[in-house]
Amino acid sequence: MKKILLLLTLMVGTLTAQADNYTYLTFETTDGAKASVAVENLTLTISGTTLTAGSQQFTLSNLSKMYFSTADETTTGIEEVTAATLDEATDIYDLQGHKISKEQMRKGVYIVKTKNRTYKMVVR
Amino acid sequence: MLTIAAGAQTLKVTEGNVTYLFPAAQAGEMTFTDGITLTIMNKAFTLSNVSMTIDNTAVTDNSVAVVYSGTTATVTIAGNVAQFVDADINGAHVNLTQSSLVDDVVGEITYNLSGSSTDGELYMSGSYKATIELNGLTLTNTTPVYSGAAIHIQNGKRIKVKPITGTTNTLTDAANGSQKGSLYIKGHAEFAQKGTLNVVGNVKHGIKTGEYFTIKNATINITSAVGDGINCGQYFLMESGTINISGTQDDGIQCDIDDTDTYPTGTGETTDHEDEDSGNIYISGGTITVNCSATAAKGIKCEGDMNITGGTINASTTGNGTWDSDDLETKAACGLSADGNMNISGGTLVLTATGSGGKGMKCDGVLTISDGDITVKTSGGLYYNNGTTENTNYTGDTDHIDSDYYSSPKGIKAGVKTESGNRYTYSGGIVISGGTISVTTTGYNGEGIESKNTLDIIGGQIIVNSYDDAINAAQDLTISGGQIYARATNNDGIDANGNVYIKGGLVYAIGASGAEVAIDANSEDQKKLYVQGGTLVAIGRLESGASLTQSCYSTNSWSKNTWYALTVGSDVFAFQTPSSGGSTMVVSGALQPSLKSGVTVSSGSSIFDGVGYTGATVTGGTTVSLSSYSGGNQGGGGGGPDGGGPGGH
Repeated sequence: MKKILLLLTLMVGTLTAQADNYTYLTFETTDGAKASVAVENLTLTISGTTLTAGSQQFTLSNLSKMYFSTADETTTGIEEVTAATLDEATDIYDLQGHKISKEQMRKGVYIVKTKNRTYKMVVR
Repeated sequence: MLTIAAGAQTLKVTEGNVTYLFPAAQAGEMTFTDGITLTIMNKAFTLSNVSMTIDNTAVTDNSVAVVYSGTTATVTIAGNVAQFVDADINGAHVNLTQSSLVDDVVGEITYNLSGSSTDGELYMSGSYKATIELNGLTLTNTTPVYSGAAIHIQNGKRIKVKPITGTTNTLTDAANGSQKGSLYIKGHAEFAQKGTLNVVGNVKHGIKTGEYFTIKNATINITSAVGDGINCGQYFLMESGTINISGTQDDGIQCDIDDTDTYPTGTGETTDHEDEDSGNIYISGGTITVNCSATAAKGIKCEGDMNITGGTINASTTGNGTWDSDDLETKAACGLSADGNMNISGGTLVLTATGSGGKGMKCDGVLTISDGDITVKTSGGLYYNNGTTENTNYTGDTDHIDSDYYSSPKGIKAGVKTESGNRYTYSGGIVISGGTISVTTTGYNGEGIESKNTLDIIGGQIIVNSYDDAINAAQDLTISGGQIYARATNNDGIDANGNVYIKGGLVYAIGASGAEVAIDANSEDQKKLYVQGGTLVAIGRLESGASLTQSCYSTNSWSKNTWYALTVGSDVFAFQTPSSGGSTMVVSGALQPSLKSGVTVSSGSSIFDGVGYTGATVTGGTTVSLSSYSGGNQGGGGGGPDGGGPGGH
């Protein structure tokens, strides 16, 4: 009986968890925008005021949080962005956190804020 | 214990030589503050000081790993306890501070130590129980930073120390520190698992624990210590495992009462040892081998009781006695020593003392032996020292010198006789009800078994070959059972300063020739020998004025080294006579006995190390004419046996 109890104790006491498959590390900036980065062998480096995660760069002062996620939570709404939406933009930022004007937009990913919401926009 | 297996993602945050492992499943929201600080699971990092990677490293909750490598060390801390453990690293000198916030909710933290360093240490503080795993660690502290110990646990709670099964670990402390042990644990220490721990103590003890010390399975080798091999407080408990101690400059194992202010005489044993501060030693299994060479060193010593119910103990001391300038008395070496009682109900004990005044085992309280196999050998002579003059083989008369000035070698000693003016008080004593006890003393003045109070033998087999009295009591000595062989080459076989009662058992007593007797009571002080039962063979006469309620018979001569058969009813006891002894042989039994000499023994149960057989079957021999014996005033001493006789076994 003692051995059985011991075995049960060990079985209960030692748990090996195979956690959810967190394939992304999602960063959220102070304005609520999110950008997810695949975590496979990901290295995060900090240089000065910039955090680099894979191909993404963030200004440290603009980051509010990061967390592991099971899906790409990069701020969506690309399909909803229209020229009219762009006209409603109050602020436009590149992924380095620099505020830019519509005229400065080139190929790349931008965060577009309107009065009502924030979008991620890809210019091709 | 929860382990997040490989395959899951882990964020590794590295700050200097310390890495924190945060499993993705636990990390939750990791918050940035002002672009300066990142807080993960309540652990704040300065971003400019860290680097981060993500991989599939498995993480075990509540774990901390310290890996030593040459002159550096790295520390890895599981994310769930990152906020509770601070690590400072100076070369390979590691200081871990466990937060006072660790509690039953957080749970116990396990510190796994591995690698090798010729100049490193671990210092850990905290206020909640912890486990230290020794996972193939070789650690030498050369230039102390936090402590001179190789491992110093400044945590007063229960500390488990686990030499991991299959690993060998070696700890060596600094030679120039002030540490109390190469492995120092302030709190309770519980050693477990089947690995090996080698310890060298360069300043004081090999292992020092402030509170209790327990061991199960582990192997501990103390190869050198300036003080004791193992020194602990509260109590010492061994269930299994192996302890080997040598090269100490003091005792092998010493256990003291920890808090003598609160418990001047200890708590005694408590239920499940809860809050026990007894100074007791408990040994129920395992093997202890202690070789002590220091003067007056004890193999195993305790301030409380020593309780042995099993296991194997080999304790050898070679040191002579010494003068204790604090207590102003001589002290001598001893295999097992207890200030309280000593209880032996099992196990195998082999105790050897070769130094002057050396003893096999002693206690100040009551020695109770109910089972076990005990072998004691002493060969040292009488130790004399009055504080200015030392003699390691004193052969002078001790009757008129202060007892503080000398230590007699003894196989087994128990009890205390205290002198106050012309009055004496007696405490402690010896009770033997079972087991096999073999005692040999060859040095001058060496007594076999001595009680400083009463001595009662109820059972067991006792074999004593001694220089001085074989079995001696300062008060009454009673034999009501058991098998006793007591041979003294230079004094009495059995001697009491009180009365001697033979009520039962089998007694084969041999006194020296001359003025000595086989069985001596203190008739000078109106004490007597009472023979009331049992089977008796006494070589050398009995004390004068004995009360022989059970009839005794004698022959005035016997042949040395000859097999005799004493028949009492249907029981035959065959015995071999010694090479020397008093001239009269006295025998007695429940029924009128008959005696034959020169018999050949063909079967029986061998006892007394082969010089006796009970239930013997014998052939041949010559009937010995026995005379009624009325007391010790006939036959006299001197003369010794006649020549060798025929037959034998």
